[in-house]
Amino acid sequence: MRRELDLTAVTPYADHMGDGLVQMSFTLPVPYSLAARKAALELAGKMGFEDPEVVHYEQLTAGYTYFVMYGRCVQTVDFSALRGEGFDIEYLSEDEIDRFAEEHIGRRIVVVGASTGSDTHSVGIDAMLNLKGYHGHHGLEGYRAFETHNLGSQVPNSVLVAKAIEVGADVILVSQTVTQRNLHIHNLTELVEMVEAEGRRREMILACGGPRVTNELAKELGYDAGFSKGTYPNHLATFIVRELAARVSAPR
Amino acid sequence: MGLAKNTGKTVTLIVLLQELGAAGRTVGVTSVGRDGEEHDVIDSRIEKPRVRLLSGSLVATTDDLLRASGIPHELLERTAVRTPLGRVLIARLRGSGAIEVAGPAAAADVRMVSDAMLAHGADQVLIDGAIDRRAASSPEVSDGLVIATGAILSRDPAEVVARTRDAVELVRLAEVGRGGDDGLALRAVAGRSLLLAQDREPVELEPRFVLTSDAAAIGRLLDASPEARRLTVAGALPESFLDGLLLALRQRRRELAVVVADPTRAFLTRHGPGWYAAQGVQIEVLSEISLRAVTVNPVAPRSHTLDSAELRALLRAAIPGVPIFDVLHPEYRGAPR
Repeated sequence: MRRELDLTAVTPYADHMGDGLVQMSFTLPVPYSLAARKAALELAGKMGFEDPEVVHYEQLTAGYTYFVMYGRCVQTVDFSALRGEGFDIEYLSEDEIDRFAEEHIGRRIVVVGASTGSDTHSVGIDAMLNLKGYHGHHGLEGYRAFETHNLGSQVPNSVLVAKAIEVGADVILVSQTVTQRNLHIHNLTELVEMVEAEGRRREMILACGGPRVTNELAKELGYDAGFSKGTYPNHLATFIVRELAARVSAPR
Repeated sequence: MGLAKNTGKTVTLIVLLQELGAAGRTVGVTSVGRDGEEHDVIDSRIEKPRVRLLSGSLVATTDDLLRASGIPHELLERTAVRTPLGRVLIARLRGSGAIEVAGPAAAADVRMVSDAMLAHGADQVLIDGAIDRRAASSPEVSDGLVIATGAILSRDPAEVVARTRDAVELVRLAEVGRGGDDGLALRAVAGRSLLLAQDREPVELEPRFVLTSDAAAIGRLLDASPEARRLTVAGALPESFLDGLLLALRQRRRELAVVVADPTRAFLTRHGPGWYAAQGVQIEVLSEISLRAVTVNPVAPRSHTLDSAELRALLRAAIPGVPIFDVLHPEYRGAPR
C-alpha cells in the first residue's frame, strides 16, 4: 500500500504513506498484570486509535505499570490550509537579524522583559534576553540590534510599564506560567490594559511567552505574539524586527 | 465585556445578533480576542458556541479565519493591523454561516475598524471583549457596554454578586462636574497628572509617579500641597498607588479626589470604588461609560450551576438601574429597544 502524499489529509507516517501509525507511552496507576494490559488497550481505543497494540509493558514500581503502545490514527489534518501570515515565517540568523534591523530600523531596538505578577520563574525571560541564552543560542543582549532590560521575576505590571515608558521600549516581553487559574491570565491581561491606559498600545509590541502560550491564547490576551516551548531567541528576534519594520513602513 | 472567561460573552453576542437580525438591522462585528472558536483556548474540554452571521453583515476578522469560514464575501478593506492570527480584513458577507471573529486588539484600532464598518453601511457595530479585558469599553471606543457575569466567579452566589457589583460600580464611575466650571477646568488639563488646590498653581507630578510611587513619596507630595483636594491622573491608576495614597492620607487625616480619563484607566482588584470612597479617596472620571445591561451565565463549565432566577434577583437588589438578563433562560423575551 504505497500512497501519494495528500497535503489536505495529513496523518502520521511510520512504514508507508498514510498508515497513521503512532507510538505512545504512558503509565497507569494500576498493578502490573494482564488486567492492566487490557485496561491500556481499552484506553487507547477510547482515545480513538484503531488496532491498538501493547508492544511493551513493565512494572514501574508497586502499583504502577508503564506501557509502550502502537495505534493507528484515523484522523487527518488539512495541512494545505495552514498557510498565510504567521505560518510562513522563515527564521533569520543572528547576523541576518542585525543586518535587517540596521537596514530597516536604523537604531537599536529597546526590549524590556520580565516575569509578571507572582510568577517566580524567570528562566524563559533569561533564555530569551541574557547573553548566555540557551542551547548555544545567544539571547537578545548579545545582538547588535537590541538594547535589553531584564527586570527579573515577580515584577508588578505598573513597574514594568513605567520602566518600558522610561527607556522608550519598542517591545515588552513577559513570561507567565499560564494555568487554568484565572489569576495568571489576569496578570497578563492587566499588563495589556495598563499599556492601553497609558496610551502606549500602538507604540509598543507586546509579546508573551510560557509553556502553554499559543498564538490563539496570545490573541485573546491582547498580545501581538505568543511564544512557547521550542522558541529560540532568534525566533523571537525575527518576529520583532519584521513586525517593527512593517510598522515603520505602514504607520497606523 | 466579561468579568472573566466563560461568563457568556459569546452567547450574549449571538443572542444580540439574532435580535438585531430579526429587526432588519445591518450589523458589523469584531472581537478584541477571538470568537466563535470551537474549543476554549485554556481548557480545550470546554466547547464554545459558534457565531453565525447573516448575509449582508460586516465583519472585521483575519484573512485566514475569513477564508476558513468558506462564506462568500466582498473584501472592503485590507487594514494595516496584524494579529497573531493574521492580518485584519473588513468584509461584507455574501452568504450566511458560522465564522470565527478575531479583530484588532488595540483600542484605537478597534475604533478604527468599527468606524470603517459604519462607513460601509453597518447600522450598528458589536465589539466582543476577551477574557476580562476592558480597554474597548472606553467611551473613546464604544457608545455603550454590556457586562457578562456568571457562576464562574464563585460557587457562592453572594460572592458572584459582590464581585459583579464592584465591577459595575467601577464602570459607572460618575463624570466629574459635568457642564460646570469645575468640569471644564479639569478637561482643560486632561492628559496631565496634576495635584490641584483652590486658588493655587497646580503641581505637576514627576513622569511615571503614579505607576511607581509608594506611600512615603506620595506623603512628600501631599505635604508640599497642604490645600490640595484633587489629583488628576493622565494614564493608568494602579491599585499599588491607591494603597500608598490611602496610607499617606490616613497619616495626615486628609481626603483626596482622584480623576482619571475614564473607568478603564482604574485598576482595582481587591476593592470597588465605593470602598475607596468610604476610606477618603473619591475616584472620578472625565468621561463615563454608558452601561446598557448585565447578562448572567448561571453555569460554570465543568464545575457548578447556580439558580438563574435567584442569582438575577440578588443582582437586581445589589445593582439598581440596569437591566439584568439570562439570555438563555426560558423567561427571556429579548432586550427592550
